[in-house]
Order: sequence, then C-alpha cells, then structure tokens
Amino acid sequence: MAQRNVYEQELDEDLGDNLDFAIGNYVQSGAPGLYDDQVQLDQATLAAMQMQMAQQQALASVPDAVKRFIVHFHQSIRDGNLAEISLAYESGWNRLTEKFYAKTEWPEAETISPLVGDDPIFLILYRELYYRHVYSRLSPNIDDRFHSYENSCELFNYLLNSDGPAPLDLPEQWLWDIIDEFIYQFQSFCSWRSKVVNKNEEEIVMLAEGTQIWSCYSVLNVLYSLIQKSQIIEYLKATQAGESPETVAEIVGEYGTRSLYRMLGYFSIIGLLRVHALLGDYTLALKVMDNVELSQKAPLARVTACHVATYYYVGFCYLMLRRYPDAIRTFVTILNFINRMRQYHTRSYQYDQVNKTGDRMYALLAICSALSPTRLDDNIMNTVKEKYGEQYGKMTQGSEGLAAFEELFTFACPKFIAANPPPYENEVQLAAWLAEPPADPATRHLALFLSDVRAQDTVPTLRSFLKLYTSLDAGKLANFLDADEEELVQQMMVMKQFSRSLTRPATSAGSLLEGEIVSTTDLDFAIEENTVHIAESTVGRRYGGWFIRNIEHAQRVFDSLRSQPLPITKPAVAAAIANGQSEKTDAPTTQSRTAAGRTGRAAWGTANPRRVEIEA
Amino acid sequence: MAATWIRPPTRPTEIDTLVEGVDRYNPSNVQYLEDYLYQQTRERQYDCLANLAILKLYQFNPDLYNSDVVINILLKALTAAPGPDFSLCLALIGDRSPYQTTDEPDPLIPLLPELTKLSELLMTCRFPQFWSTYRSEELAPLRDNYTVESVGFEDAVREVAIRAVRQAFRRIGAKRLGSYLDLEGTELEEYVHEQGWEIDGSNVVVPPNADNVVRSTVQSEEIKLPQLAKIIAHAQMP
Repeated sequence: MAQRNVYEQELDEDLGDNLDFAIGNYVQSGAPGLYDDQVQLDQATLAAMQMQMAQQQALASVPDAVKRFIVHFHQSIRDGNLAEISLAYESGWNRLTEKFYAKTEWPEAETISPLVGDDPIFLILYRELYYRHVYSRLSPNIDDRFHSYENSCELFNYLLNSDGPAPLDLPEQWLWDIIDEFIYQFQSFCSWRSKVVNKNEEEIVMLAEGTQIWSCYSVLNVLYSLIQKSQIIEYLKATQAGESPETVAEIVGEYGTRSLYRMLGYFSIIGLLRVHALLGDYTLALKVMDNVELSQKAPLARVTACHVATYYYVGFCYLMLRRYPDAIRTFVTILNFINRMRQYHTRSYQYDQVNKTGDRMYALLAICSALSPTRLDDNIMNTVKEKYGEQYGKMTQGSEGLAAFEELFTFACPKFIAANPPPYENEVQLAAWLAEPPADPATRHLALFLSDVRAQDTVPTLRSFLKLYTSLDAGKLANFLDADEEELVQQMMVMKQFSRSLTRPATSAGSLLEGEIVSTTDLDFAIEENTVHIAESTVGRRYGGWFIRNIEHAQRVFDSLRSQPLPITKPAVAAAIANGQSEKTDAPTTQSRTAAGRTGRAAWGTANPRRVEIEA
Repeated sequence: MAATWIRPPTRPTEIDTLVEGVDRYNPSNVQYLEDYLYQQTRERQYDCLANLAILKLYQFNPDLYNSDVVINILLKALTAAPGPDFSLCLALIGDRSPYQTTDEPDPLIPLLPELTKLSELLMTCRFPQFWSTYRSEELAPLRDNYTVESVGFEDAVREVAIRAVRQAFRRIGAKRLGSYLDLEGTELEEYVHEQGWEIDGSNVVVPPNADNVVRSTVQSEEIKLPQLAKIIAHAQMP
C-alpha cells in the first residue's frame, strides 16, 4: 500500500517548483463568512440552521472507515499514546487520503465534531491536518487561507494562553510539521497576496481589511512566544553548560520541562531561521541559531525533515554572506548524511522531499565550489558533476557562466517573500502599484547574488594564466588578457580578495556568524612593482588511505584463513576419494564416509559468519 | 575580525540589548538605533548589525522609513567592501515599492543606482574610477548632502584601497597608490607613513604580511587516529 503522505506533497510545494496555485475559485460570493459584514442577522441564523442540517447529512456520507479512524485518532490523542498517534498521523491519515480524499477535502471539522464529543482541541488539530491537506492537494482559496491562519492562531493560543501547560502530547514529527506548515502557509500566502492582477473585488476587500492575517509580525510573534514560553534558549544554554537535569528543570520551569513545549520552542528557532532567510535577512537568520548546536547529535537531527531543512537554510545564508567555504562545509555534511540515510529510508514518506532538497543543495554546492574552488569529497563532487556537470563547467569559466549561475540559483533558492502587501486598501496607490510593480523578491535577491558573481568573473581566466608561471611581468600578462596593465592590477586585487574568506571552524561553538579570515586558494601571488610572483601549494600524494585499506584487507584475508579448519589429513582424503566424493574434499573430513560432505560444509558454515562479521 | 563586526567594542550596552533581543522589532525603538547611526557617522564608528536592525524595522513598518537614514547606512556599508554589507542592506530595503513616495520625492531613488555603482567599483577594486565617479558633477547631491556629514567617509574608502593593496602588493608605484587613494605629494607621503609603510624612490614598500608573502608549499597528508582504529584494534587480538 502506498503510504504517500500529504507532508511530502506540501514540502514539495514549500521547497518545490510550483507555487502557482490556481486562484479565484472563490465562488460563494454571498455565503456567510467571518468577513462579510453585510449579512443580516436573520439570514445568518437561517444559514446556520441550514448548515447544521447539511452537516448531519454530510456526516452520514462520511465513509465508515474514516469515521472509525477519526474516533480512534481522537482516542489515541486523549490517551497521549504517542505510538498510536504516530501511526494514525503518519500512516492512517495518508492511506485514507489516498483512498477517499485524493481530490477532495476531508470532511469539515464541524461535520465530524459529534464523533469526537465536540472536543475543541482535537478539532483544532483536525483542522490543522484538514488545511494542510487542502494546501498540498487542492487549491486553497482565500477563505481557506484566512481560516487556516485563524486555526493556527487558535492552536497557538491554546498552547500559550491556557492556565498552565496544555495536557497534550504529540509526536516530534508532528510538532515539526506544525511549525513547518505554519511558515509554509505564511510564505504561500505572501506570494499569493503579492499577485494583484488576478484578484477579484471581493478578495481585494478582504485583503484590504485583513492586514493582520499572516502578517510578518503575527508570524514572528508566534515563533518568539513559543521560544519564550518553552524557555528553550535557557534550556540549550544550561545543557551546553553541563548542568544537572534537576537544575535544568528548575531553570526552564513548568512549560519547558514538557517535551511538547520544548520541541515546539526548539523548532520555532529553526522556523525563525527560515522566516528570516525568506525575508532576505541572512545575518539575523544565522543569529537566531546562536544557541543551537549544528550536529547529528543535536535535537534537530531527531526529525529528518528538520535536520535537512536547517542545513539547507544555514548553507544558503552562508552563500549569500559570501562565506563559500562555510556554505560548502554545511552542504557537504548534510549531503553525506542524506547519502548514508538513503540505504535505510528509501521507503520513508519523506524520502522524496529530502531528495528534492538534496538536489537543490547539490545545485548550491555547484555554485559555491565554482566561486571558491576547493577539494571536495569525491562522492559528493561526482554527484554534483552528474547532476549539474554542464552548468558547473560553464560557471567555472567566468562571465560566460552567468546564465548557468542564474539557472541554478533560481532553481535552488528559497521562495523569497516580500514583507509588505501591495496597497489593497488604497485604490489610487493600488493602481500605481499595478502600473509599476516593484521587482518581485526572487528577482531582487537573484540580482544581488549575480552582482557578487559578476564582481569576480575575471578570476577564472586570470587563474588559468597564473598557473603557468612562477613569476611574470604584469604588462606581459595584461597583453595575454587584452587588458591594460592598470586594469590587470585591479583584477589581481579582486582575485586576491576573493581568495580570502571568513570561515567558522567546523568544531567551534558559538554564533554561526563568527569566523576568521583564511585563504581559500591553492594559487597565491604577490605583486612587486610590476612583477607578479606566483606560488602554488600542491597537495602531496595521498598514500594513507590506500595502505589502510590494504592492511585491513590483508587482515581480513588472514582472519578468514586462520578461521579455516586445519589442513586435510591424508587417510580421510583417500577414504573420500574412494567413495567418489572427491569434489567435496576441499573441507576436512573426519571419520565417517557418509558424513564427510556434510561435515565439510558445516566447517565452512561456522567460518562464514565470522568472516561476514569482520567484513561488516 | 568577525567578532568586532558582530559586536563592535564601541556599541553601547543599551543598543546591544536592543540588537540581541526581541525589542529590535519594537517600532518605538527605531529612534535609539537612528541616533546610534548618527553617532557612527560623527565618530567614525561602524556597526553593521545595528544598522541592519534599523532596516529591518523599516521593512516591517514602511511608515517609519527615513531615506536620509537609509542613505547614511548605505554609505557606511559601502566602505565595508569587500565585505557583503552593502548587499545585505540592499536585500532589506528592496522591498520598498515606488507607490509609497507620496508628497516629496524620495532622495534615495535617484541615488540608489549611483550608490550601487560606487559599491561595484569598490568591490572590483577600480579605485581610480571610484574617485572620478565620486567627484563627478552627477554625484554633487550625494557629496553636498550626505558624505559631507559622514565624517571620515573618504578616509574609509581609502581604507578599502589600503586593505586591497596590502594583500596584493609588496611594492607598489607611488603614483599608482596615489591614484587609488586620491592623494598626491606630501598628503600621500603622510598617509603612507601613517600606515607604517615606506617610500623608496618612486615606489612604496608594503611591509610583509600574511597575505603578500607567498610561498609554494606541499600539503602533506595527515592521517588521523580514527582512520587507524580498525588496524590497531586488530593488533590487540590474540
């Protein structure tokens, strides 16, 4: 049974190629809604009654399997049975989606409400999944977008503003998905909102009035509130300082000791990283990660999607800060992880999503290593060349590669958003906006990136000439390049600048923004008046790996030889031959003629597991 | 290097609290940050992250927008070349759309392309061209209204050139250096001496440093203990 999850679809769109929702299918122009002031009271009551009846009918038409699932799901959440919740969340929901709701919405929360005794918390969680399904499989209309925002607010309000910590326990995967989805819907809303052209009048009115909906401040508020409530920063600091569990519990208080809050707070930090990156604030994005340890032992690695997303955004921010070595290190770390994981998780429902993000990181890695050539892990570099060999070739050629840079950047960058909506509330301004719309965020960030690339587009050519000499007259070099000497000297200074980069040592703790200037090139030079002196550092041949592999191999051979039984004794051989079993005499035979063959095999049989063990 | 960029020693504690905490989002704090910016322009200080915090507030609250402040921030960021500061600032202000200019024309709009051009010239080490562009007729408004207020702007640009020269040169023609610094004669001599550099005839000698001394090296292989773990473990077997 295919267990394809809504989640991967969502993330597909989140990080994926297609954000172009078909919009404008907002047909119920006269339907009562939260935002429709003109509905008269009696009409509203009437509509409410009609709705109730419709819902009863709707419930009747819900398939029994779905009803049973919802009842069971509700029960597992009430019991706080994490294993059952996980099963329902990761498997049941998706299988039923495939079967019944591949192309339509799940039943509305109001419809199934009687099944769960009108449990408000379950209904909020149910709506969370309901809207997630709408976003991933269908085309959310403006009502969906507004309501999913309200539902998120209700959920967070419940978590943050109840008396004391909410008595709720959810799997970590789901908690990550809640934060991830919240930001995804925010980003989706922002890009939908910025397309003025295809909005109808009703939508314009709603957007003009609902400026609070999905505003940057409201999203940041949620994330920061979760961080504060869970005292996650204090928790991380205390655990890093090696405090005892009792002290930590005391520091973080009643909310922070509960895993639900702690993980939500933790994921909110990653959420901030993402929101700031989407808004183009790369320094702040890295800054919020100050207390988060980037490693496979860190909590972020417990949810694969979170692990991968974190490295993607951190690496991307480094790229935009022109810290190519840091970006390369970040991408290589996570891509190696993905490769290792591949053997075990090919059937995980997140597998496709992780692979897609992986592809983007290979593209970003191609960009980084074209801008700052370094020796990379062979495996990773081969994959880069396999996937983006053509573009990589062009990018290492300087200015001619600009189109390739553009192609890969556009493919691999996050879905940037604009912080502010078009002026829906003011007709005149809106017309002016339409007449001369500002560049969309992706274009702006691409332009900024390309100007970085353009600044160093002479470097590859220069480098290829310098590689041929140990010292050379600047005028002569200028001739080769068809440039005048002054121009050449300036290009050399540029080359020098780009061969130095701020880098944060992999092992160091502290802010991701920290770092030291290091040289990133194997080809260095200095100019003495008009002479260029060039020095190349070469990497000596590497013997170590070869010897280590072969020693290990020899050891294995030795071990398997040693574990073999002693050489065959002559009388036994003779006996075996006499019995026409010569083909089995490679193993020692003992006494019995009939058992000779079997004993031989058995001897091998005992040797084999040991050998396998050693090889493994 | 990075440490002073993240938190310059000149940053007051109150500003530090603002920049580090959630108060950075509070629109009513923009005044303190703007005052701090003007302190930077008067006293030759530079605090990129604090300035980005102003731009962040402008990004979220278009009503706060003050083009003079933005221009001053960009001028400061310009002289941080070859750092990424200038494009980090642009990444945050690009959100602004033209419809927001209502009554008075926004002085940033004509200046932005010019500033970007200047930044590109610095990034690509075209210092003589930078000076001629900067001193051109078209940029008179920038000089008269802004850089004149930003104390030490020209010296800060010279610092950019000095950084580039220090990395790449061991000896440089005095005339060439003069064209990079926009200085001549005794002024140039004084400036060179301030750097601790020496004049040798028509050349300036740049003292050796980590970047302008180059040596061919052969990087030899390092074998780490974990790589040998299996072999050593095997040796212990009876």
